[in-house]
Amino acid sequence: MRRALRIAALGAAAAAALGFPAVAVVPSATVKPVRIMSMNLCTDMLVLQLVPKARIASVTYLAHDGALALFPGADAGIPLNHGTAEEIITQRPDLILAGDYSTALTRRLAKEVGAPIIEVKTAVTFDDIRQILRQVGAAVGEPERAEAMVRRMDATLAGLAAHPRKRPLRVVAWSGGDSVPGRDSISNAIIEAAGAVNIAAKPGSTYSTFDAEQLLVAQPEALLYGGGGPVHPSLRTEDGQHRIVRRLYGDRRIAFNDVAHNCGLPQSAQSAYDLRQAFDALPEQRAHP
Amino acid sequence: MTGRWTPWVAGLVLALAVVASLFLGRVVVSPMDLVRGLMSPDLSLASLVVTELRLPRAVLAVLVGASLGLSGAVLQGLLRNPLAEPGLLGVGNGAALGAVISIYFGLSQAFPLATPLMGLAGAIGAGVLTFAFGRGGTLTLILAGSAVSGITLAVLALALNFAPNPYAGYEMNIWLLGSLSEKSWDHILLAAPFIVAGLGILATMGRTMDALSLGEVQAKSLGVDLDRMRVLALLGVGLAVGAATSVTGSIGFIGLVAPHLVRPFVGHQPSRTLLPSALLGAALLLMADITTRLINTQSELRLGVVTGLIGAPFFFWLVLRLRKTAP
Repeated sequence: MRRALRIAALGAAAAAALGFPAVAVVPSATVKPVRIMSMNLCTDMLVLQLVPKARIASVTYLAHDGALALFPGADAGIPLNHGTAEEIITQRPDLILAGDYSTALTRRLAKEVGAPIIEVKTAVTFDDIRQILRQVGAAVGEPERAEAMVRRMDATLAGLAAHPRKRPLRVVAWSGGDSVPGRDSISNAIIEAAGAVNIAAKPGSTYSTFDAEQLLVAQPEALLYGGGGPVHPSLRTEDGQHRIVRRLYGDRRIAFNDVAHNCGLPQSAQSAYDLRQAFDALPEQRAHP
Repeated sequence: MTGRWTPWVAGLVLALAVVASLFLGRVVVSPMDLVRGLMSPDLSLASLVVTELRLPRAVLAVLVGASLGLSGAVLQGLLRNPLAEPGLLGVGNGAALGAVISIYFGLSQAFPLATPLMGLAGAIGAGVLTFAFGRGGTLTLILAGSAVSGITLAVLALALNFAPNPYAGYEMNIWLLGSLSEKSWDHILLAAPFIVAGLGILATMGRTMDALSLGEVQAKSLGVDLDRMRVLALLGVGLAVGAATSVTGSIGFIGLVAPHLVRPFVGHQPSRTLLPSALLGAALLLMADITTRLINTQSELRLGVVTGLIGAPFFFWLVLRLRKTAP
């Protein structure tokens, strides 16, 4: 089983590299994993879109909020896990999807139940999203679906690229200054695809500090903040409401969907499209002091 | 240096720290521009930086630092214990717990005063619990305070365990390390009335502390109502530190260190440590805050981390000093 999956994954990767349609190396229906366990929010979001519910053994307890923001109800009735290695024994999956790092115990227990682990890296570019979609699609036995999602995502991105903004807006994703997405983040890729420049994009930074003073001096043309979609209360929402920010950016704040900005997903392209719409609808900027 | 000059020296250190905090930040603005920004009614980048960002941050640091310094001095005098500080009575942790519950349930979004009020309720609740179990003696009060601290920390950890989402958990963790960043006049308006009321109560405790330095029995014979004074101290610490913690998060060590730094200069008369401890507490917190601003790290360096890094080695100094002075 594991060997078949590995061959399928290698085959899909080789086919993609050679430009052949991935469908040519799809494993037969009998080798598709039928008890897939996802141990990471981002892989939850991928598996919920790629695989019928009946083949999902469990998703993480965080999946509900993510699904609610992107595709409400898609997770209904699916058992939950808390990302612990012990749950591998109780749920006995035949495929495990995990984030960048899985613990030694997770790997040992996975070996014990005979389930391969697919480690899915954190996507920070749209190329990364294509790569992980194909990787997960091949692993779960749904490469055509994955390829169709890549095509839809690319069509959205191509639409945006075909109609570039005359002048890129200078923006920053700011909800308080303690963790602002930098260059190596999917937020940065979304902002650039939407036709803007992330002014907090420092080389090699995923997230970094960018305090209110830096914000005032940099004078971005719009502030983006997480909170579009159902979110639980947090200090972030309050921090982004500093009175000087309200005063200067009251009508130039744009909410984005947190999930599509934290996990590289096909929806990240839609997020870029939504951002472009919001940029185009911004009122004229008043002169800053 | 004589004790008479100590408050002036502490005040001068504080004034210098305030001036430094107005001129230093992540962004370099020339001192002339900042002064012009302060004086001029016109809106300029420099005036916004100084009046809306640096000045409120400095004012809040002074209020919070003074609360911690004065509370530490009062508690060390009242409990006659050199390790006493607001955290010892569970008050600081109680405030943090109240504030975290307010964030957890989204009360702060529904009602802006919810976080400081819940912080205050947590601080006073923890204080009442400490007093209810610890009344009757200094040692029992300290033991009860430790127990309440332990319980509030455990409940805090429980809240972190069941945080509604990973960000809330991360933020609650950050909350426990303290920060003055992104604080505005709105936060000061919320917390200042409670802090000032608490400081007012604590400032009246000098005579009791002097009487207590003779021993509990002697203080009682001088007409000091010890139970009433302990309640007042708890109320004062609860109001001041509770409101401070609910706005800035937990900040340790200032309350412990400030009174020890001024004590050698004021002749060990407890009442004379109060004002200098408040002033020096404010100055220490401002200096720690300036440090967090100037060290440009990828993740924000939290205030509680700086005060801890400076404050914890202070214990070694305290141990060495006790060993030298012990008979």
